[in-house]
Amino acid sequence: MKFLVMLLLTCWMCLMAIPCFAEQESIGFINNVDGEVTIISGENSVRAVANMKIVPGDLIRTGAGSSVGLIMVDDTVLSLGPKSQIEIEEFLFDPAERDLSFVARLIKGTFSFITGQIAKLAPQKVKLETPDATLAVRGTKFVVEID
Amino acid sequence: MEQVKIARCLTLLFLIAIGVSLSGCAKTTVVILPDPQGKVGKLSITNEAGSVDIDQAGEATTVRGMQSLPSKPKILPEDQITAKYGEVLANLPEQPVHFILYFKSESTTLTPESAQKIPEVLETISQRKSQSISVVGHADTAGDPQYNFRLSKRRADAVGAILSEKGVENQYIKITSHGEENPLIETADNVNEPRNRRVEVVVR
Repeated sequence: MKFLVMLLLTCWMCLMAIPCFAEQESIGFINNVDGEVTIISGENSVRAVANMKIVPGDLIRTGAGSSVGLIMVDDTVLSLGPKSQIEIEEFLFDPAERDLSFVARLIKGTFSFITGQIAKLAPQKVKLETPDATLAVRGTKFVVEID
Repeated sequence: MEQVKIARCLTLLFLIAIGVSLSGCAKTTVVILPDPQGKVGKLSITNEAGSVDIDQAGEATTVRGMQSLPSKPKILPEDQITAKYGEVLANLPEQPVHFILYFKSESTTLTPESAQKIPEVLETISQRKSQSISVVGHADTAGDPQYNFRLSKRRADAVGAILSEKGVENQYIKITSHGEENPLIETADNVNEPRNRRVEVVVR
């Protein structure tokens, strides 16, 4: 009896957990990977492969001699050089509802960006935080190096 | 003799201490570049000490800590940018490609010119091996926004159906509408602007 209760409880917990994963809408994907690249999504950590989806809150980390390129749904493209780390804190792209924002924490390493439609439609909603300063972006291509 | 040794030791320790404190002091360098269309935008670098703008091709600033002002902007020579950042720039993905399609008035039928663009859309999808295609309906600001939203969504559905018919996997296609909030041509409210009544196919 106890076993049955435990089993039912486990099943229920699993079912409760599923919508949490499904709810998160993809905001971009991994386009190109070279070497050791990890996506940390909440408590899960997976090795990045091409076409893997990115959701808000994801942290992307590259190892030594590794790199990765991402394409976001608003046309933003970005790349990370070796030993780099970025956390996508907030990403909203729903122009019909005027929900637009792109906030990321650049923790360490080298990055390059070409910003997309969020920076065009709502430049004041794009914010990139580094350990030394905050970058406000008005539609452009740029490089950031943190060392 | 002993004194010389101690002095050397102290010097060494001093140098190590400097080394450690320098490496412990992080810094951020930002360099602005022309985008693929040749346009240079603008970046504002701000912290507790103040703010610096860069808006010239190759212009750079360095910041050492939240409490120190970003350095005076300086244009970096191109070869220096290539040497330091060539690799990370080479790994930047190609920007998504946008196709703009138009429709016959009040209908979900493509104009003949736009129908002719479909093969090019399919070609780009297969060339990029794209698994992420957005079909986005757009409206102009004339008339009822809700009606505009629905018509542009139905047009996007129609384009999605064409792509799927031509062999693009449904799971790779995402159909949405931006209503009148993402115009190609900026207009005031209630302006009839045929160029804004469109469907954009974004191939990533």
